[in-house]
Amino acid sequence: MTPNILYIEDNPDNTMLVRRALEARGYKLLNSVTGVNGVNIAETEDISLILLDINLPDIDGYEVARRLRASPKRSLASTPIIAVTANALKGDAEKALNAGCDVYMSKPINIRELWARVEAFVPMP
Amino acid sequence: MTISHLSHLQCSGCGQEYSHQEVHTFCPTCQSPLLAIYDLQEARQQVDRDEISRRKKGMWRWSELLPVLNIENQIFLGEGDTPLLSLPHLEKELGLSHLYVKDESSNPTGSFKARGLAAAVSKAKELGIQKVIIPTAGNAGGAMAAYAARAGLKAYIFMPKDTPFANIEESRMAGAEVALVDGLISDAAGMAGEKARAEGWFDVSTFKEPYRVEGKKVMGYELAETFDWSLPDVIVYPTGGGTGLVGMWKAFAELEELGWLENTKRPRMVSVQADGCAPVVKAFQAKASFCDFWINAHTIASGLRVPKSFADHLILQDIYESEGIAIAVSDEAILESQKQLASMEGIFAAPEGAATLAALKELIQQKWVSPDERIVLFNTGSGLKYLDHKS
Repeated sequence: MTPNILYIEDNPDNTMLVRRALEARGYKLLNSVTGVNGVNIAETEDISLILLDINLPDIDGYEVARRLRASPKRSLASTPIIAVTANALKGDAEKALNAGCDVYMSKPINIRELWARVEAFVPMP
Repeated sequence: MTISHLSHLQCSGCGQEYSHQEVHTFCPTCQSPLLAIYDLQEARQQVDRDEISRRKKGMWRWSELLPVLNIENQIFLGEGDTPLLSLPHLEKELGLSHLYVKDESSNPTGSFKARGLAAAVSKAKELGIQKVIIPTAGNAGGAMAAYAARAGLKAYIFMPKDTPFANIEESRMAGAEVALVDGLISDAAGMAGEKARAEGWFDVSTFKEPYRVEGKKVMGYELAETFDWSLPDVIVYPTGGGTGLVGMWKAFAELEELGWLENTKRPRMVSVQADGCAPVVKAFQAKASFCDFWINAHTIASGLRVPKSFADHLILQDIYESEGIAIAVSDEAILESQKQLASMEGIFAAPEGAATLAALKELIQQKWVSPDERIVLFNTGSGLKYLDHKS
């Protein structure tokens, strides 16, 4: 079965880059451009891993991570979350990890690193 | 007049090729650093290494192997050909026979950053770029400001607000606009990147353009030449962004392909970081291909406060390939070694440079180096730029 990866990101260029990279490795990418909708998708779909931008148009990525970890859908407590942000402000990495993310990556996303990070949690199908 | 044997740019991740006649940052396909590739077969036929040795001193005597096509675009402030000094008193103290320091503090603006920025700013000028921007832990900002001033380019610099005062002041004196950031170089990089995208400044961040590493690689050429076209056994190098380490490894490969080395045995590369910011060390110990972002980076060696290099995979790849090692040292050990270098050998090293001596002492204890090996430490800059810590 093809693993679903959810990318919560409002920038279409980033989404296209990541989609191309992950689909080339056999993953299926679902995308949400808002945090609230991203949480909804995670709660309704079978998601193996979440890529989470921090700067979103509604709630920020930290709040998304907190809601995912507190979700009534208990599997989301342990679904891997990789935080991804361009806005590397002081303490962003700490905040992302404290909010429940497993890994922090800064943009620009190196695709080979993305593959390695994703495959560490979800083996390539 | 075109003198360079530059052929094209190539992505270090996916291998995609790009034209060197156009402005490029990093690979748009896989977002890895681009590296400059030369036609070394052609260079092998046309360039005489001994003729290079007879040229006027300076980085640009290696012009055929540097990326600037037209010599009129080379910005020269005296960079390169730094001394390789023996360390007789430390040799005796540490029980070694062949210990040297490549002292980069004699470069313009007092650090090795001059080499990379000389190449990058010269190439930027050649490509018609007029505004350059850089995030920096300190010395790269001063160097960029100086070369941009000489080239007639506008310079914008983002640096942490606790960057040594000398770096802030030298940048401003050279006419650069300086923004002080409440954070680390990674924070500065985020802001510089945003400004570059929003206002069309060319981002000269470490490895986010292909040419700084070309200036740094000349350290490798100079070492080979000084050692009569062989290479030392061990190079101990402080690693922040890693341009020098990656650059030297690239230089050694190029020299080998040119057939200029009398002995192709490569050195073991030692990457030195600080206990308070050691992403490469952590990744090396885990045998990883990439670094994790280092949380709460802190060290007196501001050039080592790099939570994650954009070229981390290249740094690690080169350490592994060289059968080298990555090692972290404490700030106390750095300060002690800084004093030792000054009091025993008369070299007032930057903390980053002093870190290499601290690391070497650890490596001797671990018996990772043997007494008869030829070992080169790198002092990347002058201690005079870090007097804030002494007050």
